Amino acid sequence: MKKRRKQFLMLSTAFVLTFGVSVTANAMHIMEGALPASFCIAWGVVCLPFLWAGFGSIKRSLSANRRALPLLAMAGAFVFVISSLKIPSVTGSCSHMTGTGLGAILFGPTAVSVLGLIVLVFQAILLAHGGLTTLGANTFSMAIAGPLVSYGIYKLCGRGNVNRKAAVFLAASVGDLFTYCVTALQLAIAHHADASIPAAAGKFLLIFAPTQVPLAVIEGILTVLVITALETYAKPEMRAIGYLKEAR
Amino acid sequence: MLTIDTLCYQSKLRYVNAGEKFAFSILTLLACVVGRSATASCVVLLVTGILTVYKGGIPATRYLQYMAAPLSFLILGTLAIVLHISKTPLDLFAVPVGSFYLTGSRASMGYALQLVLTAFAAVSCLYFLSFSTPITDILNVLRRLHCPRLLLELMLLIYRYIFVLLEIASAIHISQCSRLGNRDYKTALKSFGALISALFIRAMKKSGALYDAMESRCYDGTIRVLDENYPPKAMEIFWIVLFEGLLFLFIFLRKLGTL
Repeated sequence: MKKRRKQFLMLSTAFVLTFGVSVTANAMHIMEGALPASFCIAWGVVCLPFLWAGFGSIKRSLSANRRALPLLAMAGAFVFVISSLKIPSVTGSCSHMTGTGLGAILFGPTAVSVLGLIVLVFQAILLAHGGLTTLGANTFSMAIAGPLVSYGIYKLCGRGNVNRKAAVFLAASVGDLFTYCVTALQLAIAHHADASIPAAAGKFLLIFAPTQVPLAVIEGILTVLVITALETYAKPEMRAIGYLKEAR
Repeated sequence: MLTIDTLCYQSKLRYVNAGEKFAFSILTLLACVVGRSATASCVVLLVTGILTVYKGGIPATRYLQYMAAPLSFLILGTLAIVLHISKTPLDLFAVPVGSFYLTGSRASMGYALQLVLTAFAAVSCLYFLSFSTPITDILNVLRRLHCPRLLLELMLLIYRYIFVLLEIASAIHISQCSRLGNRDYKTALKSFGALISALFIRAMKKSGALYDAMESRCYDGTIRVLDENYPPKAMEIFWIVLFEGLLFLFIFLRKLGTL
C-alpha cells in the first residue's frame, strides 16, 4: 500500500512538473478561439484609443527624426526576441519573460503599445502564442495595461527617491502580475459558466498563480540585472532612446 | 530557429495566392469563433488538418506536436471553469474537502468541452495560415487591405531583425554555456541578464548601421519591396467559396434553430 502511494505521489509530481513546464509558455497569452466573438471585438475597441495615441506619438517622433524608424523596429524585434528566449528557472522548465516591463522602462508606454501589437501578431503567427482573434484582449493586457502600470510605478518611484534597483524590480514584477490579473479577469468575464464573475476570476487567478507568481519575481530580478548592466555599458545608446536624459 | 517560419517556406502551398489562403483561414477562424458549435469545429479541424499535412506537406508529427502546444493552457483553463468549491455537491462529481465539496456540474463540463473544441479548431486555422504563408506574403495582403503604411514598414523591419537578434542571442548563449555560464541557478540568472544587455547594445548599433545603409540607397521615408504575385486559380476560389458558404450556412441555421 505504501509503495502504491509513493508511486502515485511520484506520478502526480511528474504530471504537475510536465504541465508546469509548458504552461508558462502560453499562460499569459489567451489562446486562439478562447474568447467569444463579442469579447474579441470589445477588447479590440478598448485598445483603439491607446493604439491611436501610440501611433500618433510614433509619427511625431518620426517627423522629428527619421532615424527613429529603424530604432523603433529594433526595439520591437528586441521585445520579441527577449519574450521568445527561455529564461533560467528553478525546475528546469521552459518559461519566457514578457519583456513588456523592460520595454516600457526603456522605450516608454506609448511606443510599446504599438510595438506590443506587432510583437503579438508575430508571436501568434510564428510561435503560436496567443492568436489573431484574441489579439485585442492580449494587446490590452500585455501591451497596454502591463506597460502602463510598469511605467507608472517606475516614474512614481523616481519621484519618491526610491532606490533605483528597487524601483525597476517593482515596476517589472508588478507590471507582470498586473498583466496576469487582467488576463484572468478577461477569461473570467468571458467564461463564468455557472459562477459569478469575481468567483470565476478568483478561480482563474488561483489556477495560474503557481506558474505566474514565481515568473513575475524572476522577471523583476532579470530586469534589474539588465538595467544595471545597460547603465554601466551602454550610456550612448541609452541616451539615443531618451532614457538617460530623463533619468538625470 | 523559428520552426514555423522554416516549415512554411517548404510548404507545397507556399506559391498559392496569399490572398486566398488569408481569406480562407480568417473566414474559417471567424466561423469557429462566432459559431461555437462542436460539429463545425470538428469539420474545420479535419479540413485544415488535411490541407496543412496532406496538401501542404508539413510532417504530421510536427503538426501534432504543435497542436499539442496549447493543451496545457486548455487543461488549466478548463479546470478553472469546471471546478467549483461549494457546500452542496453538484451533479457531475463531488470530492469532499473538509466541510466543502470540490465539485463540478454537467453544464459547465459541456461548456468546457465545447470551448476546447472551438479553441482547437481556431488554432488549426491559425496554423494553416502560418504553416503555408510566409510573413512577407501576409504583409502584402495587409497592404492590399490598406493597413497603415507606417505599421507595415515597422512590421517588415521587425520581422527582418528578429532573425538577426535571434542569431546573436543564440551565439552568445552558446559561448556562455561553453564557459560554464549556466553552472548553477545564480550564474544562469546573471548570464541571462548579461545576454539581454549585450543584445540590446548590439541591436542599437545595428539599427544605426541599418539607417546609414538605407540612407545611402536613397531612403526617402518609404520602403518599397518587390511584390511576388501568384494569380488566384478559379478552382481554388470555387472550393473556398463553397466551403465557407456551407460552413456559415450551417452556423446560421443552427443559431436560428436554437433561438
